[in-house]
Amino acid sequence: MKLLLIEDEKALATSIQNYFQRENFVCEWAADYRTAVDKINIYRYDCVLIDLMLPDGDGLDAVRELKRNFPDTGIIIISAKNSLDDRITGLNLGSDDYLTKPFHLSELNARVQAVIRRRSFQGSQQIRFGKIQIDPQEHLVQVDQQEIVLTRKEYDLLVYLIANKNRVLTKESIAEHLWGDDADLMDNFDFIYTHIKNLRKKLMDKGCPDYLKSIYGVGYKFSEQ
Amino acid sequence: MKLLERILRYQIITSLCVLTLGAILFYFSVDYLIDREVNKELMRSKAKVSWQMRHISELPVYILQLGDSLQLDQVRYPGQMALVERKLFNEFENEYQPYRQLIFYERVEGIWYRVTISKLLAQRRQLLEAVVMTVTFIVALLLISLLLLNSWLSRRLWRPFYKTLRALDSYQVEKHEILTFSKTHTVEFEQLNQSVTQFTDRLAATYQNLKEFTENASHEIQTPLAVISSKIEGLFQDESLKESQLVALSEISEAANRLARLNQALLLLTKIENRQFLAGTEPINLVPIINRKLRDLEDLIEQRQITVKTEIEPTGPVMHPALAEVLVNNLLTNAIRYNINGGTIDITLAPGRLTVGNTGTPINSDPELLFERFRKEGTHSASLGLGLALAKTICQVNGQTLTYKTDGPLHILTVTW
Repeated sequence: MKLLLIEDEKALATSIQNYFQRENFVCEWAADYRTAVDKINIYRYDCVLIDLMLPDGDGLDAVRELKRNFPDTGIIIISAKNSLDDRITGLNLGSDDYLTKPFHLSELNARVQAVIRRRSFQGSQQIRFGKIQIDPQEHLVQVDQQEIVLTRKEYDLLVYLIANKNRVLTKESIAEHLWGDDADLMDNFDFIYTHIKNLRKKLMDKGCPDYLKSIYGVGYKFSEQ
Repeated sequence: MKLLERILRYQIITSLCVLTLGAILFYFSVDYLIDREVNKELMRSKAKVSWQMRHISELPVYILQLGDSLQLDQVRYPGQMALVERKLFNEFENEYQPYRQLIFYERVEGIWYRVTISKLLAQRRQLLEAVVMTVTFIVALLLISLLLLNSWLSRRLWRPFYKTLRALDSYQVEKHEILTFSKTHTVEFEQLNQSVTQFTDRLAATYQNLKEFTENASHEIQTPLAVISSKIEGLFQDESLKESQLVALSEISEAANRLARLNQALLLLTKIENRQFLAGTEPINLVPIINRKLRDLEDLIEQRQITVKTEIEPTGPVMHPALAEVLVNNLLTNAIRYNINGGTIDITLAPGRLTVGNTGTPINSDPELLFERFRKEGTHSASLGLGLALAKTICQVNGQTLTYKTDGPLHILTVTW
């Protein structure tokens, strides 16, 4: 998978690049609008991450450029601007998602994977992890061909955990993924624990090994070891 | 009261005063003049009578004017000359009429006579009345025509002013409008219009600057925060870190998150206060928003065993859809956050009114303080303390009101429009 990151803040760009390289993604970086347009027109990317405020141009123009020449490329706008107009313009221009800074890298990762999954062919849309198989279109979860009935939140949680497998996930990032802006309603994150517990029980009931490790003081990690 | 009405009122009051005073003054001056004339005539008559009495013993009949009368009485001693006014019976008219009498004493061949010359005043009165009435009428007519002319002229001349006023009334700064006016011939109005044009010009520029500044400042803050969060997340993946370091990192991450949310909430608050959302207002149906929000929050509601009672009909205020979301969101999350486990939430949506009531612990401080920024009841550390301040600001800007009251165990927030 090949990504292009258009972002003028070097420190942030490095973090994002490192994060995706660990996912075995090729993540290229363009620090300004001109480099970005050059790269877009030379190489093919599966997904492009675009910051709207660039020193020498408007990220929205890059979105237009991409849509015109390579309509199959996934586009995620990452912007510090939370203004409604930009969000609507961005989505109307054909970007697949809009993420406001600051965001959790795990959240960005989950969104990138969702975009790539949606844009790829039918067959590869399935999500697999160990004994777990998920059909995102049907919202169908199976362990060893046996169907598991999950609540909406449990399903979202499982997809998020698999998207960020082998990584430490903070409780906050999980809470924000599941509840968005309402995450701050939770005075402590015990609430996530309930969902984690239920999900783990449902998976293990069908003979799935315990993939979920709790990391003290931080959060959880989903891995096969 | 309208300016023209006020001017007219003062004009009328002044005119009436001047008219009354003038009429009174005129009356007295004419009266005085006529009076003096009557007295002079009496004195002339006296001189004639005296002369006749001294030189010719017989008095001719025509010595006095018609209507006047002369009376001679013998007296023993002379008295003072006197001028008196009294009513005497007039046989022709068969009524009492005012007369002026000049009484003086004259000695003819050693005998004192008291001479009384009486002069009828009736004609004089009629003359006086006629003169005063005519003049008063003329003056009154003049004043009335002046007033009418004045009010017509003012209405005509003030037309540009009312035009400017109407333009200012419908002025909306968030539209970046600069008011311009057609030329008027009145210097003052021309100056006013120029000032208004310059003023709105400056206002539009300042407003634009402020808007850009807040958005840029927010952007500048969000980016470093994004760097901090991303670096921390990278560090979390480092397996060589000790547990205590991970816990510290987790706390830093939480603080950075909180700062980011705070920044976003403050930016939203500023934008609402700058009335940046007035441009896209439309009639909103709150029902789908409430239902969606309740669905989003259903986990939390279930977890805290809160019973939600709704009584909603499709209606809503006129506002920006994004603000309606924020308003509903803040009211509902507030009702959950400050609720007790096993409590209730009552939501009523009726034409002109949205009420959200929730059970909760009693509030010790002044309820009005709830709407202040960074005001938190108790120790809900996850709360930013901006929720109700945001809701209040949204209502203020859109012309709705947000009020708080308690009803037994219920805390009730009501939005009316």
